[in-house]
Amino acid sequence: MRGSRRGTGPSRRHLALALPAALLASGCAAPHRGSGRPGDPVVLTLLSHYASGELKEALRGPVDEWNATHDRVKVATTAVEFSDLLTTVMVRQAAGQGADILHPYCLWNGQLVRAGVLRPAPPEHAEEIRRGYGRAAVGAASVDGTVYGYPTEVQTYALYYNKRLLRAAGVDGPPRTWRELEDTAYRTTRRDRYGNTLVQGFGLSTYDDSTTVGQTLALLNAAGGTFVSADGRGTDIDSPAGRAVFGLEHRLVAEGASDPGVNVYRAFASGRVAMVVSAGWWSGTLRTLMGRDYRDVGVAPVPVPRAGDRRATLCTGFMLGVNTASRHPREAWEFLRWLNTGRVTVKGGAATRMSALQVSVGSLTGRADDMRTLLGAGGSGRDPNLRPFLDALGYAVPEPNVPGAQRAKSLLRTNIEAMWTGQQSVDQALRTIRRQVDQEVSRAW
Amino acid sequence: MVNTLAPEPTGRAEHGARPVAPAVAVRDRRGRRQTVVAYLFLAPVLLFFTVFLALPLGFALLLSMSRWTGFDLGGIEPVGPRNFTALFAAGSTFLAPVLTNTLLFALGTVVLALAGSLLVATCIDRLRFQGVWRTLYFLPMVTTVVAVGNVWKYMYEPGGLVNGVLNALGAGSVAFLADPATALPSVVVVQAWASLGSAILVLTAGLKAVPGTYYEAAALDGAGPVTVFLKITLPLLRPSLLFVCVTQFLTGLQSFALIIVMTRGGPGDATDVAALEMYRQAFSYGDWGTASAAAFVLFLVVLAVTLAQLWFFGRKGEDA
Repeated sequence: MRGSRRGTGPSRRHLALALPAALLASGCAAPHRGSGRPGDPVVLTLLSHYASGELKEALRGPVDEWNATHDRVKVATTAVEFSDLLTTVMVRQAAGQGADILHPYCLWNGQLVRAGVLRPAPPEHAEEIRRGYGRAAVGAASVDGTVYGYPTEVQTYALYYNKRLLRAAGVDGPPRTWRELEDTAYRTTRRDRYGNTLVQGFGLSTYDDSTTVGQTLALLNAAGGTFVSADGRGTDIDSPAGRAVFGLEHRLVAEGASDPGVNVYRAFASGRVAMVVSAGWWSGTLRTLMGRDYRDVGVAPVPVPRAGDRRATLCTGFMLGVNTASRHPREAWEFLRWLNTGRVTVKGGAATRMSALQVSVGSLTGRADDMRTLLGAGGSGRDPNLRPFLDALGYAVPEPNVPGAQRAKSLLRTNIEAMWTGQQSVDQALRTIRRQVDQEVSRAW
Repeated sequence: MVNTLAPEPTGRAEHGARPVAPAVAVRDRRGRRQTVVAYLFLAPVLLFFTVFLALPLGFALLLSMSRWTGFDLGGIEPVGPRNFTALFAAGSTFLAPVLTNTLLFALGTVVLALAGSLLVATCIDRLRFQGVWRTLYFLPMVTTVVAVGNVWKYMYEPGGLVNGVLNALGAGSVAFLADPATALPSVVVVQAWASLGSAILVLTAGLKAVPGTYYEAAALDGAGPVTVFLKITLPLLRPSLLFVCVTQFLTGLQSFALIIVMTRGGPGDATDVAALEMYRQAFSYGDWGTASAAAFVLFLVVLAVTLAQLWFFGRKGEDA
């Protein structure tokens, strides 16, 4: 017994040799930033919110391709959930651990530039960005006229609806006006005898600032209003359009067609919400979550107050920029140029890697030519639900990115929720938002 | 090894011939040497406090009167007391609801945790297998706040366990975390439940320290259980109660993790508390000046509340 164990199992000497070897190997395999010495590749770190599912896989493709074809510069990605992205950027920057390449939400650009986090794009890159992208996308990636990065995904907002729930309520198609929206919402709502919501007619999200505010601003834009005034010095939320949006949401909650206490993003996927206003990124998530049931999902433009009103909706976006603290900015910009302007062959023609990536997860980019190629001129793209989001690029209103924009958005969200939950009336909410946001936006940063 | 802290040997006067002045000088020299050695022993701790308390405190004080975005030390811009005045300016949400919510949260937690732990500790003191009971009640303390918060969040949901029980009893559902009227009390209950374990440990130790002779004397005098509890147990538990009260209040005033997991300060700002607001100002909005000013205000509130508690219990004759 003893002899056989000695013959086949690892001896102490083997273990003693194996342990340091394993530690050495694991140490060598650990991510590092690279010294830049000859023979030692530069390792660029990229922080994004592509943390899970399709997004994570989609980004991995081009990054793996870059790493396989470039010996001197490698890219390592780190990802967190979107709701943690800003705080992660700020905390890591404060700790001197900021990533070389950042993927911020364009709303934060003013704040990040003010804090000295983002490096302006070198002139040749800035020129390339101005030439290759739509005006809204370039504007979102710029602060005070200076371009800070390559626009990546562009999100427009539209109305998601569950065809099956609408059919069951005797509604033929998606609503086009607010009156139809309210009528459809009331007809599709169902509750049990204890008051628990079985089906919400119109979902109002309280998940985070972006979803809560995004849907309200999409409706506000559809009513012809804007959140920030034209001169950027205050808010216009208490305009007649703002009052109409708040009134609409208040009625939907008061009549029981909306239940802000329910997580809309889970409930819609499980067929317990009839309609939601949300951004195009959600299509990819819904496809994964719903499987075959995704065929019940339809997308339509955000309804307008009255028939014949001009369409409008909200447009938000992200960009890839380089950290001022990066020790390898030239390499970082080179990688971004390769990712965002280098073209690859796709079905139906050629498009940039970033455009192909975004469309594969149900998002859009600010490159109209790529979008036409990828989605097909006749709307025969991979997912027909993307078409309304692409059309919306033509009439969407970009989100402002002044310093303090995130704070203003949080204040807006707080007061919207206070109005939904009856803490404030519509008038009180509008007055409070004006006072608080004006104070924040006018601060001399 | 020479014991430098040992008292000086007596009996020198017996020799009488030595002058007084040199004796004083020697004593002074020894005293100084003892002081130096004492400081050397204290040095590691003093260094620790300097690096991790005094320096950050000084830096926070500087930031509270500056504008800073958090990364470049050269970008600190003095603004005087403007951050403090902005916190209390008309329309600011810091005083109400943020600070009000913080105090209500802490007060609610202390009241519930104190009452609950006193009841449970008294019951455990009369049971067998006391160690098992204490361990059971201590389990929430060793569970991560994120897990506790998420489990309770699901229990509070419209189709969750709590509403299920209410429905089974014939009552309607309550939107615990979605209704501003019930959101803060709902989170307070969870915080109190989660901190019950440590309070029970302290109180059961306090109960064990009460001499049995008092109870025997009370029994001989024919005192009932309520009288015994009110006249003997409660007064003699006062040091333990003070400790639980002060520590629970401090924890409540600085609470952050449970709130961010369960409500993120919502709905609206119904559960927004000072620590959460400071976190947002610093790490979301890059406004370290306002965050530091809020931290100092919270520090003063904590200090005032703690001193008030110590005074209250001290007035009753207890040494804090």
